[in-house]
Amino acid sequence: MGLLIPSARGESEGAQLFSLKVYPLLKAKCFACHGEDPENIEGDLNLLSREGMLKGGETSREVLVEGKPEESDLYRAITWEEEALEMPPKENDRLSPGQIEDFRNWIEAGAPWPDEARRRQYTDAERAIAVTADGEILNTSGGQSDEWTYRRYLPEDLWSLRPVVRSDVPEKNHPVDFFIDARRGNAGYDAAPEADPHVLIRRATYDLLGLPPEPAEVVRFLEDWESDSGKAWMTLIDRLLDSPHYGERWAQHWLDVARYADTGGYSNDYERSNAWRYRDYVIRSFNRDKPYHQFVVEQLAGDQLADQSVRKRLGKEGKALHEVRFNGEYTEQESEWLVATGFLRMGPWDSAMVKAPEARQIYLDDVVNSVGQTFLATNLRCAKCHDHKFDPIPTRDYYRIYAAFAGTQMAERKVPFLKSENLGGFKDGQALVRRLLSFATEKKELMLRKQEDAARKWFEERDLPYLGSQKRRRLPDEEKPPRYVGLDHVDQGRLKVREQDERIWTRRMERYEPLIQGVYDGPDPPEKMNRALKMRIAEKVDRVWLPESVIYSGGSLEAPGEKVSPGVLSGCGVPVKGSGAEDPYRIEEDLEGRRLALARWIVDPRNPLTARVIVNRVWQHHFGKGLAGNPNNFGAKGKKPTHPLLLDWLTAEFMEHGWTFKRLHRLIMNSRVYRQSDRHPDMEVLRKKDPDNHLLARFVPRRLTAEELRDTLLFASGELRSGRGGVPVMPEINQEVALAPRMIQFSIAPAWQPSRRPFERNRRTIYTYRVRGLPDPFLDLFNRPSPNESCEERHSAAVTPQAFALLNSDVMTDRSIALALRLRNEAADLARQVELAFQLVLGRSPDAAEHKRLQRYVQDMRTYHGKQPIPESSYPTSITRSLVEELSGKIFSYEEILPVYEDYTPDQKPGDVPPLTRALADLALLLFNSNEFLYIY
Amino acid sequence: MHRPLCARPTSTPGTRREFLYGLGASLGAVAMSDLLAKENAGAGPLAPRPAMHEPKAKACIMLFMEGGPGHMDTFDPKPKLNQLHKEESKLTQGLANGFKFFVGSPFQFRQVGQSGIEMCDQWKHLADPYVADELCNYRGCQAESLNHPEALFHMNTGSRLGADPALGSWVTHGLGTMNENLPGYVVMTELAMPQGGPGNWSNGFLPAHYQGTRLRPEGTPILDLNSPSFKDRDHLRRSLDELAILNRKHSASHPDHEDLSARMESYELAFRMQMTVPGAMDLKGESDSVREMYGLNNKETSSFGRQCLMARRLVEQGVRFVQIFSGGWDSHDYLERGHSARIQSVDKPMAALIRDLKSRGMLDETLVVWTGEFGRTPDNNKRGGVYSLGRGHNIDAMSMLMAGGGVKKGSVVGGTDELGAKAVECVHPIRDLHVTLLHLLGLNDNKLTYFHAGRYKQLSQFGGKIISEILG
Repeated sequence: MGLLIPSARGESEGAQLFSLKVYPLLKAKCFACHGEDPENIEGDLNLLSREGMLKGGETSREVLVEGKPEESDLYRAITWEEEALEMPPKENDRLSPGQIEDFRNWIEAGAPWPDEARRRQYTDAERAIAVTADGEILNTSGGQSDEWTYRRYLPEDLWSLRPVVRSDVPEKNHPVDFFIDARRGNAGYDAAPEADPHVLIRRATYDLLGLPPEPAEVVRFLEDWESDSGKAWMTLIDRLLDSPHYGERWAQHWLDVARYADTGGYSNDYERSNAWRYRDYVIRSFNRDKPYHQFVVEQLAGDQLADQSVRKRLGKEGKALHEVRFNGEYTEQESEWLVATGFLRMGPWDSAMVKAPEARQIYLDDVVNSVGQTFLATNLRCAKCHDHKFDPIPTRDYYRIYAAFAGTQMAERKVPFLKSENLGGFKDGQALVRRLLSFATEKKELMLRKQEDAARKWFEERDLPYLGSQKRRRLPDEEKPPRYVGLDHVDQGRLKVREQDERIWTRRMERYEPLIQGVYDGPDPPEKMNRALKMRIAEKVDRVWLPESVIYSGGSLEAPGEKVSPGVLSGCGVPVKGSGAEDPYRIEEDLEGRRLALARWIVDPRNPLTARVIVNRVWQHHFGKGLAGNPNNFGAKGKKPTHPLLLDWLTAEFMEHGWTFKRLHRLIMNSRVYRQSDRHPDMEVLRKKDPDNHLLARFVPRRLTAEELRDTLLFASGELRSGRGGVPVMPEINQEVALAPRMIQFSIAPAWQPSRRPFERNRRTIYTYRVRGLPDPFLDLFNRPSPNESCEERHSAAVTPQAFALLNSDVMTDRSIALALRLRNEAADLARQVELAFQLVLGRSPDAAEHKRLQRYVQDMRTYHGKQPIPESSYPTSITRSLVEELSGKIFSYEEILPVYEDYTPDQKPGDVPPLTRALADLALLLFNSNEFLYIY
Repeated sequence: MHRPLCARPTSTPGTRREFLYGLGASLGAVAMSDLLAKENAGAGPLAPRPAMHEPKAKACIMLFMEGGPGHMDTFDPKPKLNQLHKEESKLTQGLANGFKFFVGSPFQFRQVGQSGIEMCDQWKHLADPYVADELCNYRGCQAESLNHPEALFHMNTGSRLGADPALGSWVTHGLGTMNENLPGYVVMTELAMPQGGPGNWSNGFLPAHYQGTRLRPEGTPILDLNSPSFKDRDHLRRSLDELAILNRKHSASHPDHEDLSARMESYELAFRMQMTVPGAMDLKGESDSVREMYGLNNKETSSFGRQCLMARRLVEQGVRFVQIFSGGWDSHDYLERGHSARIQSVDKPMAALIRDLKSRGMLDETLVVWTGEFGRTPDNNKRGGVYSLGRGHNIDAMSMLMAGGGVKKGSVVGGTDELGAKAVECVHPIRDLHVTLLHLLGLNDNKLTYFHAGRYKQLSQFGGKIISEILG
């Protein structure tokens, strides 16, 4: 141990070991079941005292044998070596080898058990020393117990909290190559050679745009490469970064983390009709290369920026300022800021059947955790109920950050449309929704009329004056007709369906209103204004109101504890600007500045997490893996960075040059490491020494993401339309899924109806409608993540259902026919058609053997299709749904209309084209299924 | 777009591993590479694994009554409640505000079988002593979420958030499956998917192999399983051969890229699965008397009956975990009609399932569980100003049935207060139920863990207790 207290000199090391190590472990892991609850002592074994240990329990008398660990069941249990004698029983509580060793030494030392005062002396002395062999104490705002506050962290577990350090890079070295080479050192193998230029242009184009290069672009690039490869490469990257597709690609990475969806999930899965404005904000921000610190602050506190701006612009304060908020009178810049706050509305949330305070807590917990994961790669959720088990995050800090959001209220706010926003399709969209809405309302009215006719009759028969449904509400049962009078179970079921439809379509009309899914500051609004269906900014807010923030013990609203002020994560060691020395991590109480202060602390250049986290994410999307392998968790349990010096160097560089992304992409992509081939001359050695490629000696191929796959199919078939932003696009999805019933509260959700025209449907996947309760089955299969959890890294396992989708789905049939039509249009004969198909799908020419085989294949398929009848395809304009009526338990059915199909332009179908085109479609399908198409090298 | 269903071939499943699973969530996923690895190494993610201790049951069939059946209207009689019918209630459960009144059960109760287990008179087939004496009625479970999707998630995945692995996923993760030609974890739903959808049978953070495979009640059992109708099997074979040639050439220039061969093999599996999946779902081989027993000849019971019969067939063929959802139990009003219709729709099929398993000697090794996501309140609020005879959501009390696989036959465990408002005897949270079910299947919740996001995750989240009173 090496730590001795002067007064304790001569006392056994065992006593010290017990006080510092063994006793805290007993307390943390054993006492709860073995002694703390005298009513319920597991196995009748009380470990609270030495006597209890020596006495033993039901199954063992030999719990502690002084001096003899091997004979002590206590020791044998904690080693987990014997079946059925494994303590503590949970994997998570299992002791580490070092801890087991401590027990062993203590028992060998005779198992001394000093009293509390003596133990205290040992611990006090120990805590006075910041760094020992056991690790270091980190200052925080303090845990719920001294054990937590003074616990020690292994230095390597604190890597992400250390200040960013920029190491020197020798001149003429590319910093990325320098750090990667240095780390590989003399591993015994070199880096892979540079990949071929046609591989590189495909890699770079997918990385930056999520699309393949055009065949003509490839030709030009290869020519340029011939004359000056360095210049050709720089020019390529510049061109790609200038493309508006860049934002569409990189926004997707952000939306994965932020959990973008167009609906709220849970019971009702209500639409978030204006979420698309936030999606477009993110795309815009990437395209304009918005500095990351601005991007962060806008998303967390854009509304507070707008408030500040209004104050300055109009000199308005208080009530007058709130009027501006209420009426949504904002400039372009202010509107942009407000749209950004959509970030705070991204989590799944619904108020159905949850009491208002709990619904509010669910929202705030979600926001706090999301902020931690997204910006700080920190798992705050753990600290909701207790001090963090592994990281220096006291539950106090959790509730201080929670307090920073305590006045944050969700609302659909009026915010004028921006000039840059795409308002296309509004008229058609409104007409469609109006149609659906009026259908629902008419059908509902029909039921209500039927009910009221029966009610009228009921009153008449009793010679009583008729009273409408509202007026008779309060009458005693005997004096009014029964509920749903005149309606049988079918009518009742239909009434509820139509009422829910009415809510759904009314809500969807808001898509076309100048609204945002945003937030504002104020007290909790009355409950009726705070339900998921309709949330609005209160007309008047109490401006003096200050929320009272407390620590909820165990995360329970029923157990409010110590009061806290708003604040930040103390373990980062970065004080809030302007805070006093007494509590440097505290945020001012003023409600209207809390989030802004938190956001500014997050982007403080001294904050060790923020810039590192985003730089790591950028690296991840170029190389498949982050330098730190858990981009959402930089804590003790996340993977440690493989190249910490490189991560720091890039982070420092990023901050010093304005926190901009495009510069970082250039820096990374200009490295030799980025241009490495996936093939390595010493693969045998590499596989043995570094199977996971931690040292980055070669490029690791990756499969197309779900979005890249769909976008590329449309791109190759020539169908992709490049509209920018706007209300969500509805592509065709598997028809069985589109029409399948899906339960929501009271009803079945309306069917998925695609956009009417191909040019409206066939846009990039990021613009498609994202419903939490209804994932697009094709994209889902190719690992598009669920928007209910922040996704730090996509999966790409090859599974059989993918083969079904790629071979048999209508989506693929349609894309193949479209490509076949393009081949026939653009190429005169079969040889040229095969050539063009290869160019468009694989970006290369077929070799002679492929040419021969595949021409033959197309000819054979042409013969085959000449004999095959093709079924007519049709789209239903209405469907009949059936549902169990809750009140009667009986099944009823109703009609749902699908007006889109009344005037629909389908994609070209197999039945619309001759056998040769179908045969060429077979060729297209073949290429779309090939590995070469699906992987990027 | 309405393709005629392809004729379903009736070939018997081959002996080779021909099927790949986890086609759940909306269709699921299974890593081929693992399966191939298995072929090489002899142990894949779905290969059967030894239990952690001597198991009582090898498979589990869970009948999930979505909406929450009223315990006092099914298996937990409350005479006192009947006396208070329509009198004012001051209970503070649930969300309802305003005037509330007690609602007596519209049903009569009686004791059945030798064990004298209680059930309401709507249960006609389940009351047969041959079946009833197999049942264990547990009345002590408490839920935590008042809202359907969260409560469904909790009962199915141990977490209210709906992003964690389902019970069935944990079980297949722990035990693998006994027949790798079929999915290890199968889910069947009625008419519509339950609230929360695929989140109820998601593999969460576990590998995709353990995702529940939803066999669709109508249309294609698995999406896009069949080729378009104008492409026959020869067409597919020829195309796959061409594809293989293309892929082989590509692989030759990327010999170190391991994903490639996995993808190639997945196409061959797909080719074979087109035959085996419909075969597994075909009930033609079942006798008329079996079909009659499960209620297949009756409109009210045919849907659930078909699924119960499928469940028996799947378990017989080695499927580890089958879950069937039956909706429509959320009787806030007109409970008499609602519950009696729902009971009618499941009574005969459930009884047939237990009888069938028992007579085939399978019940001892099959754990059957019947439950909802929560119970119902003894009282109701006025709806539309009227005394509506229904019940609200109750997280403090519920009733479930278990049979077979190691549960105490013919027993009632736990109890609720005299009104059925709260469980008061042998009270346990959902996590304890989960721990108990795992225990019966030979798994220890504390050891059935998966390292994810910085900690060892387990179904019960933080550990739980075995409800030993349930064990036979």
